[in-house]
Amino acid sequence: MESDGEEEAAAATPGTAGAAPAAGRLKGCPELSVEGDMREMAKTAAWSVSSCKPGNGVASLRDDSLDTYWQSDGAQPHLVNIQFQKKVQLQVSRRAAAAASARFGLDGWRVIFFFLLNLLFGGIQLVVLYVDFKLDESYTPSKISIRAGDGFHNLKEIKTVDLLKPVGWVHISLSGTDPRETFIHTFMLQIAVLANHLNGRDTHVRQIKIYGPRPNPVPHQPFHFTSRECIMYSTIR
Amino acid sequence: QHITSNQGSQTIQTTPGRAPRSLTPTQRCFRIRLVPIPHRSKIAPRKASNPNPPVAIQTRPPPASLSPPLLPPSARAARRRRRRLLLAGAARERRAMETLMVDRVHSSLRLFMNRNAVFLCERLCAQFPAETNVQLLATCYLHNNQPYASYHILKGKKLPESRYLFAISCFRMNLLREAEETLCPVNEPNVEVPSGATGHYLLGLIYRYTGRVAAAAEQFTQALTLDPLLWAAYEELCILGVAEDANECFTEATALRLQQEQTSTSNLEKSNFVNENRVLSPNVSASLVDISPKHIKQLPANNTAEVPGYPHLRATALHVQNTVPSNVGQFDSPSPTVTQTSGIVPPPLFRNLHAYQNTTSGDAPAKPKVNAVNQPPRRKYLDEARLKKVTGRLFNPSGDSVPRRSARLSRDTPINSNSNISQFGGNGSDHSSGSRYEAVDEMWTDNIAATSSSLSIAEGRYFEQDKAERTLSQDSKMATGIKELLGLLRTLGEGYRLSCLFKCQEALEIYRKLPEPQFNTGWVLCQVGKAYFELVDYLEADHFFEFAHRLSPCTLEGMDIYSTVLYHLNEEMRLSYLAQELISVDRLSPQAWCAVGNCFALRKDHETALKNFQRAVQLDSRVAYAHTLCGHEYSALEDYENSVKFYRCALQVDERHYNAWYGLGVVYLRQEKFEFAEHHFRRAFQINPRSSVLMCYLGMALHALKRDEDALEMMEKAIFSDKKNPLPKYQKALILVGLQKYQEALDELERLREIAPHESSMYALMGKIYKQLNILDKAVFCFGVALDLKPPAADLAIIKSAMEKVHLPDELMEDDDL
Repeated sequence: MESDGEEEAAAATPGTAGAAPAAGRLKGCPELSVEGDMREMAKTAAWSVSSCKPGNGVASLRDDSLDTYWQSDGAQPHLVNIQFQKKVQLQVSRRAAAAASARFGLDGWRVIFFFLLNLLFGGIQLVVLYVDFKLDESYTPSKISIRAGDGFHNLKEIKTVDLLKPVGWVHISLSGTDPRETFIHTFMLQIAVLANHLNGRDTHVRQIKIYGPRPNPVPHQPFHFTSRECIMYSTIR
Repeated sequence: QHITSNQGSQTIQTTPGRAPRSLTPTQRCFRIRLVPIPHRSKIAPRKASNPNPPVAIQTRPPPASLSPPLLPPSARAARRRRRRLLLAGAARERRAMETLMVDRVHSSLRLFMNRNAVFLCERLCAQFPAETNVQLLATCYLHNNQPYASYHILKGKKLPESRYLFAISCFRMNLLREAEETLCPVNEPNVEVPSGATGHYLLGLIYRYTGRVAAAAEQFTQALTLDPLLWAAYEELCILGVAEDANECFTEATALRLQQEQTSTSNLEKSNFVNENRVLSPNVSASLVDISPKHIKQLPANNTAEVPGYPHLRATALHVQNTVPSNVGQFDSPSPTVTQTSGIVPPPLFRNLHAYQNTTSGDAPAKPKVNAVNQPPRRKYLDEARLKKVTGRLFNPSGDSVPRRSARLSRDTPINSNSNISQFGGNGSDHSSGSRYEAVDEMWTDNIAATSSSLSIAEGRYFEQDKAERTLSQDSKMATGIKELLGLLRTLGEGYRLSCLFKCQEALEIYRKLPEPQFNTGWVLCQVGKAYFELVDYLEADHFFEFAHRLSPCTLEGMDIYSTVLYHLNEEMRLSYLAQELISVDRLSPQAWCAVGNCFALRKDHETALKNFQRAVQLDSRVAYAHTLCGHEYSALEDYENSVKFYRCALQVDERHYNAWYGLGVVYLRQEKFEFAEHHFRRAFQINPRSSVLMCYLGMALHALKRDEDALEMMEKAIFSDKKNPLPKYQKALILVGLQKYQEALDELERLREIAPHESSMYALMGKIYKQLNILDKAVFCFGVALDLKPPAADLAIIKSAMEKVHLPDELMEDDDL
């Protein structure tokens, strides 16, 4: 886990391999290539933006079309908020809760909250944006910050990236330096456009996708099966 | 006259007054114009069995204009009588038209000219609105895949046949309630279910689809009692899981009963297809003559599927089979006589019968023998030559055959009428038993005039004697035939029953008892493959399914399971090839789309997979498996609400579809509703108690419910029942880790290593255990191996972090996942 975020992204996107390590800045790659063990996970999330021009609203970010775009209409920073919500009733076992409270000194709601964080998702691993410098020029973001938290009140910046005339899909890996924090377990993710190319004011983003690891096909099993023998027997269809 | 006869439930009686059967409808039509009718009706009063062709004895009647204007009263009375006769003659003419039309409709149906049949039959009904004709029209609509049309014209009809047809239409339109009310009206409990066994079968299906399992089973049983050879009913009973032992169902007693039915003259309903026939020809009495084209022509299209390339051949052959038992004497007796006396070319039908029995021997193993015995071998060559000629003609593009026929008509008819007349005046060997069996297709009609000579009337005596003798020998042959057929059904039924009860090992043993030609058929091989599939032996299942698919590439039934087998085996290329093939065979079959869906699911493109499965559901919502697959895909997309919905749909179709119970269990397990999960896994387990995977999942649910003792027991059971299955071993080790029995867990994992030596997750778990046991070097080693085996990204991070923290104290190390 010694590699930092940029290198991870570079490895995932061969197109950027040359530019990324040199300048520490991301370029896009024309194809959306994500490893098979990840899946898009923000379909059920609530999406909102800080501002938008009529007709170029938040829906354009998720319509799977590269011809439409979201355009902000206000002061920087421009924000995209993604709030995850799952209507899953959790039954946190009492024993596990007790163990957690003993270990971490948590109590009551905080225990439950602690479990919610870990049980809700496998975690967010990758944010992918589609931006196009050739089309959007000064509207193209140049500096993006990713923030995570439980809600608007306690967002924490977890990653900042610079873009250099990007065209295509820009992969932003959320892995930190700590191997335990490969995934961000969070209820809310905020993508903030801090600056644009050529000092542009408003911004254009054409698509945003959020990826996390697939859940284990065998429920509640700590590790995934890898060999054919095991996978063959692991489920019924 | 014709009206009264039409109102009865006997369709056959609409035909007796028709012209002699030696002629094609077109010829008959021609004759009718040639020969004045009043006289004919006197001379040949509706006696269909008249061996002499009435046509041949005709003389021209005095023209009506010749009678004097004034007559004495007696003469006037006579004239009135004559006028009445004339009227009757007109009626007869109408009759003839009706008969002709009916004939044409039937022949169109038989040759799959469905639209033509509909058109003609609509004309027929407009002219002669008898209920039998309406029934015929309904049949045409049903053949033409227009159940709504037949629904419309049959609504409110009371005859049993109409009711059956109406119910079929409702059923096809998915109006189950109405179909049910038609079959057994609510306020008239005494009304019998129409159409006997098939009626009961249909009612059973309705009950089944509306979820009344017990009532459905009762109906199927009743259908089976009425017709012991109704395989479909037994199959349904098996699917419902309530079938009684096949050995009791297809017993000697049944054989005896069948035999009695066979020998009693008034019965033709010995086999399934005849039963369906009965709808329109309920009392095909053994009236020796009326082996009319009607019988064949009423064969529903779906029964002719067995000989795909030769629909009409099959139709003829079927007809022959149908009629053999009750009229055996006639079929057999002429041939020796013919060869003895004259050595003339035999009448056409006999050749057909003989030549085609090969193609149909699969259906009625015993019957062909009957004929084969009596046929002199040398005739075979003749027959083959003729067959070639005929088939050559048959395979002409159908488009040009129609104009050709009409051309032929104008050419042939005069010759025919001439020949008939000359026959009358001449040697007197014109009409014969042979030409009575005018079941011959249009295709053969040109030759009839030339070849129809066979028996002379004088030989009728031998005919009778022969008949008696042959009926006797026939009986014993029939008996062995019935026994053989029942034996075959017994084996198949028992195998199918056991495999529906998921006693797959026993089922496999039974299937192996089948003779090779039967075993090597698509259906049986698919069943064998399915049995291995249920036993979670995918490699064997693949073997048999592949064989089945190679043998009969157009068999679609069971191919959904085959695609799932390939999915489990991770055979992406073969799976996509199979999917392509199935789509090209029939892109409207749910199985093909299931295969396509599985293909995408294997590539983790769950959205596309879901679309394909939904298409399968759309094509046939009564395929439980397609619903289940939809559920699986929703589950993979983490849309549990919808997945539960689809699993429930699957269970609505088939309550014993354990895959759906399992799917529900998995969803509840993920949602941490452990009681629910346990309940659903248990249901699945009760249905398929031999599946080690199901046992394992039940154990996992029990473990989640903290019933570790039960869980361990269940895992033991799973390990015992399938030694090759690594899942229960791994899960057992997990449970043991939870109970802090580390050494036992390690032992179990060692055993697991023997089956799956390259399993990353196993090494990762081992590493954790060594860490707990504080054997740190081994822990690091195990984590290292686990990393080498390419775990997915999610695991990679966990394992790496665990590895780095091996030397840290426990507190920071604790993993929340375990």
